[in-house]
Amino acid sequence: MTWPRAKDSGRSLPSIGNVFGTPATVLYLLFIGFPVLALLIRAAGQDGFLSSLSSDVALTALKLSLGTSIISMGFVLLIGTPFAYLLAKNTSIFLRALDSLVELPIVLPPVVAGVAMLMAFGRNGILGPPLAELGISLPFTSIAVIFAQVFVAAPFYIRSAKVGFQSVATEYEDISQTLGVSPWRTFWQLTLPLASPSILTGFALAWARALSEFGATIMFAGNFMGKTQTMPLAIMTAMETSLDAALALSVLLLCVSIVLLAGVGLLTRRHWKDRM
Amino acid sequence: MAMSRGWLQSRRGGFSLEVDWQVAQGEVLVLFGPSGAGKTTTLRAIAGLVRPEHGRVEIGGRTVYDSADGVWVPAHQRRVGYLTQRYHLFPHLTVARNIAYGAPKKSAIPRDERVGRLIELFRLDGLEQRRVWQLSGGEQQRVAFARALASEPELLLLDEPFASLDAELRRALREELRSMLATSPVPVLLVTHDKEEALALGHSALVFDRGRVIERGEPFQVLGQPGRGQVARMVGVENLFRLEIDSRNPADGTMICVGTSIRLEAPLGDAMPYEDSSMERRDPITIGIRSSDIILSKQEPVGISARNRLRGVVTDLQPHPPGFEVTVDCGVPLRAQVTGAALSEMGIEVGQDLWVVFKASSCFLVQEDAPADARDTT
Repeated sequence: MTWPRAKDSGRSLPSIGNVFGTPATVLYLLFIGFPVLALLIRAAGQDGFLSSLSSDVALTALKLSLGTSIISMGFVLLIGTPFAYLLAKNTSIFLRALDSLVELPIVLPPVVAGVAMLMAFGRNGILGPPLAELGISLPFTSIAVIFAQVFVAAPFYIRSAKVGFQSVATEYEDISQTLGVSPWRTFWQLTLPLASPSILTGFALAWARALSEFGATIMFAGNFMGKTQTMPLAIMTAMETSLDAALALSVLLLCVSIVLLAGVGLLTRRHWKDRM
Repeated sequence: MAMSRGWLQSRRGGFSLEVDWQVAQGEVLVLFGPSGAGKTTTLRAIAGLVRPEHGRVEIGGRTVYDSADGVWVPAHQRRVGYLTQRYHLFPHLTVARNIAYGAPKKSAIPRDERVGRLIELFRLDGLEQRRVWQLSGGEQQRVAFARALASEPELLLLDEPFASLDAELRRALREELRSMLATSPVPVLLVTHDKEEALALGHSALVFDRGRVIERGEPFQVLGQPGRGQVARMVGVENLFRLEIDSRNPADGTMICVGTSIRLEAPLGDAMPYEDSSMERRDPITIGIRSSDIILSKQEPVGISARNRLRGVVTDLQPHPPGFEVTVDCGVPLRAQVTGAALSEMGIEVGQDLWVVFKASSCFLVQEDAPADARDTT
């Protein structure tokens, strides 16, 4: 006979998970859920919600936010993917050291990142004068917004993609090659699909981070409507004049984030996850 | 049909590898030895997954690596099938798409037809759309084989295909593998550290130790009655005695060997000196006897042709699948393999007096390599 598990028997043993976990979970959910709920309730209660949503300021900011973040994510994918692959598969001391540096922007306060970018690309920055000679001025342009987003968001993608590539055992790639498939095709047919759950998760995290980027943007790109005023900046600006407009923008950004999260959740559902 | 063969030499991070091999069409060459002896590295070098410093690899008569001429064909153009211990079936593909993965698009037989034939050959019908992790161990092995053969390899490299399985399944899959290999003319290199596997599947064997090939030949000879001390210890010859030659009997082709408290009759073999004058030399010699070649008897056996009859006391009794191992102290401990039925029928127990019987021809000479072996035994 087999012994019944503790939780199957009538007198279940209290586990640490139940004693501490349950209240902690409830407390945490309240802590996160209540403010979000409060935001929705307050926004729904106002009269001009829809008109605020479709206001010029809101739509312009939304368009800019989506436009810049999509371009940013393009760069992040293009540069971050091969870099993450290298980090995952190469174990040289140099790359190990680089590996820990990759996460620097995650711990760096975004405002500091903004100042740093000004010092590099600003008018008085190190590259400012040579760029000016070429007729290029980066600060306070939409390009600066993209710079700021890539700077803060890329590490989230690289970190996650690296974990994804690491989870693909080298034997898979070896076998693929012995089956007559070139290293390049092996990457596309095998490594990338197998690493895709982590890659998509990282992509979503990075995109969300780019969309919510505030500190570095306001420092390096400023706050010009239609040019550098992304959603978070627009919310901040609206707060100073009209709470209703700020609420409407906040709900909009919240919705975008939820759609993003849900989309990734659906896309990364792989029946073979954890079967490698 | 052309041979597949080669030699490799590499020295990296304190590990040196030196090996040469050849295998004919339809043959299985076993690479036998303890882990870390260089067997897997050899396979990976042949597959083109690692590059040894020096060497030459020929697959089906085609040179794919030659350090002297600077020839290096990358892995995906070598046409070798490589099977790892855990098969590494692609988890994001179905059974059918796993098999089709490496099947060449341009081939005499269309891809779908080829895959279909392999599915039939490996009795995978009905499983085409299954996920690979839903398969049993045996089915996974068959898919791995079908996938490897779909790419039309000219050489199969099997790296311990059963190492991660339990003994029962192992035996069953070994039989499956044997019948699979029989149907395909592709030559095979099989890495293993399991003697049974080597004996069951191999046509010839290389024994590896610390990156060197220390013995080669037919598996039964090399591993069943290993002629070298190192190999004998590796495969676990149960009874190994260092004795001295007492007298030689060239007429019978036998000799009498003695130790401090044992006296054996063994085949003369290589111990026959070239010169008559050294006939009387008391050369040291190592004799091996497999435990399965030993007979136990409760009464003194009389009127029996076996030349070695020793009396002793049972000192130990251990389960040793598929039977039991009985240790009998006859001056030196001798280990004998008996079945469970024999054990209970004879009522063998520790402390009992028994007779130990074996033929002179069950004794085999083991050559000790002085310097290497001195390290082994200390």
